Amino acid sequence: MAYAAGPDNKTPADNKTLVSAQDPVLMQAMETELHRALSELGSAITPVVKTADASVQVSGTKAEPPPAQKPYFLSYSVADAQSVSINAQYGAITSSNETHSRTADVQVRLGSPLLDNTHDAHRTSALTTLPLPLSDDRAAIERTLWYATNRGYGKALDALEKVKTEQQVRAKEEDSSADFSAEKPTDDILHTEPPLTVDRTAWESRLREISGVFRAYPHIFYDMAILQATHETDYFVSSDGTKVAAPNHVARLIVVARTRAADGMDLYRDETFEADATGNLPAQAKLIADTIAMAKNLDDLRVAPITEPYSGPAILSGRAAAVFFHEVLGHRLEGQRQRGDEEGQTFTKLLGKPILPSFLSVADDPTLATFDGHPLSGHYLFDDEGRPARRVQLVDDGVLKTFLMSRLPVASFSQSNGHGRAETGKMPTGRQGNLIVTSTKSVSDAQLREMLKAEAKKQGKAYGLYFEDISSGFAVTTRRSPQAFQVIPLVVYRVYVDGRPDELVRGVSIVGTPQAALNNIVATGDHQEIFNGICGAESGSIPVSAVAPPMLVSAIETQRQAQGTARPPIVAPPPLDDAPAAPAAAKGGR
Amino acid sequence: MRKSTLVLLPFLSLVFCTFASSQTATSLDPTLAAMQQELAREQAQLVLPGMQRPYFMEYRLEDIRTYDAVANYGALTRESENRQRVVRVEVRIGNDVTDSSSARGDGSLALAPEDNDPAALKFALWSATDEAYKNALRAYAAKKASLKNFQSAPTANDFTPAKAVTLIEPLVDLQLDRDDWKHRLIEASGLYATAPEVRSFANAVEFSSASLSAIAVNRYTVNTDGTALRHGYTGYTDVINVGGQAPDGMELSRSNGSTAETAAGLESAEGLHKRTLDDLVSFNALCHAPVVGSEDYHGPVLFSGDAAADVFNRLFVPNVEADRPDIGTNARTQGVYQSSFKTPVLPPFLSVVDDPTLRSFEGKALLGAYKVDDEGIPVAPVDIVEHGKLMNYLIGREPVKDFPESDGHGRAALGQAAHSHAGVIEVKSADPLSSEALQAKLVAYAKQQGRDVYEVETLGGELIPRLLYRVSPSGKRTLVRGAIFDELDQRAIRSGIVAAGGKPYISQTIGPIPETTIAPELLFADITVKRANDEQQKLPYYEPPAVASK
Repeated sequence: MAYAAGPDNKTPADNKTLVSAQDPVLMQAMETELHRALSELGSAITPVVKTADASVQVSGTKAEPPPAQKPYFLSYSVADAQSVSINAQYGAITSSNETHSRTADVQVRLGSPLLDNTHDAHRTSALTTLPLPLSDDRAAIERTLWYATNRGYGKALDALEKVKTEQQVRAKEEDSSADFSAEKPTDDILHTEPPLTVDRTAWESRLREISGVFRAYPHIFYDMAILQATHETDYFVSSDGTKVAAPNHVARLIVVARTRAADGMDLYRDETFEADATGNLPAQAKLIADTIAMAKNLDDLRVAPITEPYSGPAILSGRAAAVFFHEVLGHRLEGQRQRGDEEGQTFTKLLGKPILPSFLSVADDPTLATFDGHPLSGHYLFDDEGRPARRVQLVDDGVLKTFLMSRLPVASFSQSNGHGRAETGKMPTGRQGNLIVTSTKSVSDAQLREMLKAEAKKQGKAYGLYFEDISSGFAVTTRRSPQAFQVIPLVVYRVYVDGRPDELVRGVSIVGTPQAALNNIVATGDHQEIFNGICGAESGSIPVSAVAPPMLVSAIETQRQAQGTARPPIVAPPPLDDAPAAPAAAKGGR
Repeated sequence: MRKSTLVLLPFLSLVFCTFASSQTATSLDPTLAAMQQELAREQAQLVLPGMQRPYFMEYRLEDIRTYDAVANYGALTRESENRQRVVRVEVRIGNDVTDSSSARGDGSLALAPEDNDPAALKFALWSATDEAYKNALRAYAAKKASLKNFQSAPTANDFTPAKAVTLIEPLVDLQLDRDDWKHRLIEASGLYATAPEVRSFANAVEFSSASLSAIAVNRYTVNTDGTALRHGYTGYTDVINVGGQAPDGMELSRSNGSTAETAAGLESAEGLHKRTLDDLVSFNALCHAPVVGSEDYHGPVLFSGDAAADVFNRLFVPNVEADRPDIGTNARTQGVYQSSFKTPVLPPFLSVVDDPTLRSFEGKALLGAYKVDDEGIPVAPVDIVEHGKLMNYLIGREPVKDFPESDGHGRAALGQAAHSHAGVIEVKSADPLSSEALQAKLVAYAKQQGRDVYEVETLGGELIPRLLYRVSPSGKRTLVRGAIFDELDQRAIRSGIVAAGGKPYISQTIGPIPETTIAPELLFADITVKRANDEQQKLPYYEPPAVASK
């Protein structure tokens, strides 16, 4: 059977961006196929008609008229990632793996930037994700992209129909912004990542030693030390002429541990160490020392007194303040949260108005790779929509200036500011990169502590609270859920006004609304601390950083957290001495 | 060849059993020794004041190695190798008659070290045991409460006693030439573009994929009966999947492959090459095949190739695996054969045996074979159906009415509780016909009834015909598409099979539990063939990239 010839009236591929032979093969294949799809999809003679034998009984109706919809936007985004992941528990390796993957996210937009198939709840209809060949086999890459694009086009057609119908039926939207922003093209092919090399044997024995620390703490019934190292190169081409490739590498070591108090309260700590490569992670001695400190702290927490309901002043450590700002402020400044019927829109109407004390400013700056010489997780060169990373001044002297924008416009801003981010396989939305909080009203740690005592005394309290570590929960911002920020205090001390030593307490949980807490900040410390972590939201899990100085809050309300009811383990952990000593010489996982 | 040590020890008192066998296992395997040490310690110490101690505990460690490779359109898209060790702890509170177990199977899982580190292994067992015991106490209380709601007592006990068994088999490992197989998969998945036979319709092949999966599992089991097992299995599968759409948009595909206990047992490179070409050619033939008639057909259908084994796997096997009935009912088991004991379920000329001791058949190693099941019970052949009548069910340690003892079919999927499961099912005919005789009989029906009849060669999914032929009274075979079967059910296999062939097909699956079904071709007198009313997807909106002529 001869395959039907393509339409004769094909328009030649867009001449603006010519496929360059110097580009990586993957990039060449992406560009070629993108332009072919753009010229053929929605052209006069489609769908493809195969020559049918006379004998074939074709059921159904006659061929429908061809869909006239041409995509107004197409993009191919490919993540080529190589990773090593090693986990250890209680002094032994539980898994050690190496992976290489190439994944394509194909985005198809039909309709017009003003109203397209991604409108409102149909945002993901633009996206089709498929694994790509791991080798530079151009024909196979192109055919895979064709398969994904063809499927994506069908999905987009279907969604556009639904969007149009829903628009007829529904009341006028609060925010009638367009669905996609117009942007100038970027063309920048940076070097690609060299292959990842990790000395797995050496790291396996380092992780055994780190997780082996917990053998000395019989009440800690769960522990895990995790090493993740990734070299990724992200390739992006789009029909509006953008063509970028950029490398990204990270090494991360995470230690987590869990224990349970006699009354059933679960207690948890984690520590993340971050660097650009495994070789730049802290020395083993430092990792061991920090792990021991964490284990001891968890053991102390287990027997610490339970908190009482409290309303009064508190200090957030720099790290705790960083997490607090990421959750309470950062998530609510994401552009897409300012439109849509389901969004809380906490700050939508506060643009140009003070939302923080005037001595505080907040920027998000993904262009920074380090802060004070320490690596920042939220660094990137281009966002996941191919836009160059940009520093954005979100809050200036307490006044809200802008939002974290992807290419999804909102009433007040019609363009991206380089913060369209997503995990591979998800639609990008406005997200944080490196959130940096600065202060013009800073004092030394000692002074801040004295201010806390003074404030507590003034309010007639026996003590103020010191939040040393806070775990970030998922920020809930939709209208149906309470506007409570999900931050979980992990390590909290009472700082007594009468000079008694500080006292560790457990079970503290914060109550209150976000704005109130932010407006009660009265002073900050004079050095910033960094929190590096993985942030999860609708567009997936992405690496972020937050940087902030310690902060004195005049009023914070806390209550006792709801606690588990399970007993601690009934039998003591297995004795270590009846087992033949093996760990040091034990064979690795390979 | 596997060598094994099978030692049957004298029956030990369940609750206060001592570890008479531990010396044997300890000396043979350090992992089993560590598991036994922790089990003994927990058995001595695990009790909440005022609550019951466990009457049975079992530890299972699974050491799972997997390898997967996938190629699409002639290029590798995925290669992954994994190793994982998981411990599963089962704790039972109560006694044989009524205990904490539920139909789902209860147990707690924990990650275990890859390292042979006994301290870390015991730590993992310890934390899973604590959780399993607490869960069992809650489940036991809930069960006793719910039993009070029902008038009649359960039809069988919750658990059956067992003798201690020690079985140490050699460890298994993945053995596979990875580079060679990657090369084969790349070649096979690229044939749509490179083979001259396919050139004319290459563009119509929307997807072309080849994959290989391999698994090697070593299982270590100890329990408070004194049983200590170390056994394992390996499985290798290669699959080809090609497809696209007929001119009317109907989605069509060909997907098949080989499954074996060793990589060497899989089809050869030439075999894979040929199968892929056959699949591509038959996909194209399907695209141009007529759609089955719009009015229903009721009449003879011959199930040849792997179609008959698929029918047995779906309609018969799950119903002879005895699962505990719902609490409060008087049923014997779950499933359609719960009250079919000693009654006809198949025609009188058919018999079915499950014989996991059958290690090979016609020179092919059988994946479903084993000596001792996952609950430590040695297995012997079970006559399930004799001359069409159901005489036995497959039983694990959770018995059912009239079958108080395990017959060695307690088998567990990875990380799951053991349930009754088939091993090597063999369907035999007392009056086998040759393939030619069966075909002749089918054509004779066509002549006699003065119309076309059907033959199906292979099925997909839920007994959907993949390769269905219309057979005319003159014996002419025409491939048709777009059909589904109807009234292919237990009644059809009980009274609708008129003849069986003598050429058995071996159907093997690795997961979730390795299993083999051997069944001959079957001729049914009255099956409904009707047109499927699937949505016809749109044809591609634009052409795929041109296939480069190489």
